[in-house]
Amino acid sequence: MRQTSSLTILRRTVSTPVILILLLVAFAILSWAVGSRPFNQTVIDILVQVTLVTGLYIFIGNSGVISFGHAAFACLGGYVIAWTTIKPMMKKNAMPGLPDWLMSMEIGWWAAAALAALWAALWAGIFGAILMRLSGIAASIATFAMLAMINAIYSNWSGVTGGTSSIVGIPIIRSVWPYLAVASLAVIIAWAYSISRHGLILRAARDEPTAARASGVDIPRARLIAFVLSGAVMGAGGAMLALSIGVVTPNTFYLGLTFTTLSMLVVGGMGSLSGAVLGVLILSSLIQVLRWLEAGVQIGTSTFALPGGVQEIGLGVVMILILMFRPTGIMGNRELKFPWRR
Amino acid sequence: MSELSADGVSVAFAGLKALSEVSLKVSSGQILGLIGPNGAGKTTLVNVLTGFQAPTSGAVLLDGASLTGAEAHEVRRRGIARTFQGGRLFRDLPVIDNLEVTGLGLGLSRAAAIREAEEMLDWIGIASLADRIAGTLPYTDERRVAIGRALMRQPKFLLLDEPAAGMSAQEANDLSDLIRRIARERDCGVLLIEHNVGLVLGVCDHIVVLDSGAVIETGPPAAIRASETVRHAYMGTAADTDLPVQEALV
Repeated sequence: MRQTSSLTILRRTVSTPVILILLLVAFAILSWAVGSRPFNQTVIDILVQVTLVTGLYIFIGNSGVISFGHAAFACLGGYVIAWTTIKPMMKKNAMPGLPDWLMSMEIGWWAAAALAALWAALWAGIFGAILMRLSGIAASIATFAMLAMINAIYSNWSGVTGGTSSIVGIPIIRSVWPYLAVASLAVIIAWAYSISRHGLILRAARDEPTAARASGVDIPRARLIAFVLSGAVMGAGGAMLALSIGVVTPNTFYLGLTFTTLSMLVVGGMGSLSGAVLGVLILSSLIQVLRWLEAGVQIGTSTFALPGGVQEIGLGVVMILILMFRPTGIMGNRELKFPWRR
Repeated sequence: MSELSADGVSVAFAGLKALSEVSLKVSSGQILGLIGPNGAGKTTLVNVLTGFQAPTSGAVLLDGASLTGAEAHEVRRRGIARTFQGGRLFRDLPVIDNLEVTGLGLGLSRAAAIREAEEMLDWIGIASLADRIAGTLPYTDERRVAIGRALMRQPKFLLLDEPAAGMSAQEANDLSDLIRRIARERDCGVLLIEHNVGLVLGVCDHIVVLDSGAVIETGPPAAIRASETVRHAYMGTAADTDLPVQEALV
């Protein structure tokens, strides 16, 4: 006899987020045990990327629509951190056009990150209401246009964003635990969404849109829900990125970030949450190794160093190879599960 | 008692008329057959009735209220379901999830959708297929799953687009039984498009014959069987290899 309760669905799929979070905890503990400052920063970078790529997965993975615009939500989130955590004294110089209530606001990182998520979600809702009516390549290009627009606004609205110059003074968090908490929360949100009725509907519409419409599915609306949720997670990711480096500029959240987050998702597997997380872990490790090689490695008496830029080239080569030989990424549509569960 | 009707529906693609002034109606519990040679506009008409194609002129009415211009998902939510040529199942999902997704699309919670999906598979007699991945099913089972999916949440009307294509005589017979049960036990109005004319003559209460986008004949099976116009429409095409009209009309 089949079991039909929601509890069964929960039990059948819960091993995926558990494994992924354990993996992240292992990285965090490793950095805490090693205790070296650069390694600590590397692990923080990875956890921030996990948050961002998981946010990207919520939309791309479930809808099948590639978005080139999600870095814009990270941008919205990152600047909320600048607006709400920098000391009022410093804000006055960098962003003189802020309204008084925002100028005097100075709140804790988690409240600021929550605000960042809400702000990004709001704009995802506004843009999504229009963009989600488009399909395929038109939708992808429209998301890119959204990114360019938001970047242009943040680069030019000097009074409020400081224009293209760097906004400094964000209190940097050096402990790995807040980043672990936000990344884990992102994974839980992505998993909860994917087993929800909305997630199942959207994946069905991704695979067979005609039949989905004949099944009563309002595809633009189903996509919009994913877009807003993924915008919120992306906003939180942008907030954590700002908190990890202490500086924001519009270009922190532009083409470079779009390229790295998308390539991580493609390499891991666009249709899989496990793929999103593994893609970050694998590509981040690769980037780290290439960075060391660029800096130079001592072998005997000679120093061996790769020329600058190899890092980006390496990333591009890996992405192309994956697309050639494993177009659905490392995980395809599968998820990591404990072997004793089906 | 519900009634679904097309009222003077015309569709033109880039000036080419696919349908001209087509009218028909189906009511609850009735099985209406729609036949005609290839390219007669049968699928276009189904697309118009289900919101997949906006008519160039004319109207679609459900119990007198206009459905013209409604989106496909809205039409389904108002109780008009359809199947497709070639199944169009969610291939990567298990059979049970194929039905569940439709329940979800129509507003059920996951648990309620799974429950109804199980009952539906039972009713059709394919409960044993529940956990099979839809893309691995043979032809006949695929059609029955598609019908089960379309019957979720008790639609008032079901439009079947060539459900018997590729079926053996025995399988087509089983399908006829299922279609009769859908009309009688569920009080659902059925519009059946089919190339297997024998099946249509055997199962339908009333038949509409379409040729080159226009209705050329309507009537009960006996009248259609005797109609010179229908015979001529079929003989006039090169399609008599895949249209067993001569046998069917005997």
